[in-house]
Amino acid sequence: MADDILFDLLHMEMIVSVFQPDSNDCKKSTMSKLEQIGFYTGYRLVERLTKDWPRFKDELDTMKFICKELWLWMYKKQIDNLRTNHQGVYVLQDNSFRFLTQLSQSKQYVESTCKYLAFSCGVIRGALSNLDIKCVVTAEVSSPPACKFQVQVQRI
Amino acid sequence: MIYNLYIFDQNGTCLYYHEWNRKRSSGMSNEEETKLMYGMIFSIKSFVSKISPTDCKDGFMNFKTNKYKLNFYETPSGLKFIMNTDVGATDVRALLHEIYRQVYVEYVVKNPEVLLGHSISSELFKKKLDEFVQSSSIYSKVF
Repeated sequence: MADDILFDLLHMEMIVSVFQPDSNDCKKSTMSKLEQIGFYTGYRLVERLTKDWPRFKDELDTMKFICKELWLWMYKKQIDNLRTNHQGVYVLQDNSFRFLTQLSQSKQYVESTCKYLAFSCGVIRGALSNLDIKCVVTAEVSSPPACKFQVQVQRI
Repeated sequence: MIYNLYIFDQNGTCLYYHEWNRKRSSGMSNEEETKLMYGMIFSIKSFVSKISPTDCKDGFMNFKTNKYKLNFYETPSGLKFIMNTDVGATDVRALLHEIYRQVYVEYVVKNPEVLLGHSISSELFKKKLDEFVQSSSIYSKVF
């Protein structure tokens, strides 16, 4: 019970401390730093999570794993909506994202919400990378606490 | 019937003030009023604990006039909640404790955009506090 809030607080502090020294214009590099942290976290996490799982049948199956199991492990809930165009673009929609529920439910703070999604984008990218899917993950928040993660698979 | 609510931190900064049913204003600016409130509460608290003829457990909890009752709740971290209600209101301390637990901790402590030690800017906090207070039985009961 107490360890849920530990993750929330650690995440909050990580964002504050990564952003603080670069207060002028290095916003992009700090966002990518956060995303890198998420990448390696997701990479190792998925190794641990799938140790007893059979191989995934296809890409869609892997995405479903991310939406259900990974999200359940990290955020105690599943993704609410998964959409795809079957050509490598997936949109994951979470209607009440864990790090945004206490932040705002209106348009207040909407400019700073992207900071809180960078780590999670990295986790998705890292997890998929270890499952042999190279991709680019972006996120957008149109109406907090709902947010959408867009995964674009890069096929060589 | 709940009239208004003040929230102070351990340094005396007024973090939040809201009124629901205030019919009479005190005639001074909000800043002066909150400073007066904090100073008075601080003095009453220390007076009460010094004068107490038996061992003090909770210390100052409320004072009553024939028109209103001022209820006080302090958390272990030094946060002070002061609520003015009508004379017959009961269990206000429990209500203040719940406000701390369910509204303050959730929407201020866990909100990374709110700076601790400054007045609370989160709209979500204001909305949730309003909902919580208006749904309590003390708000709707009028004596």
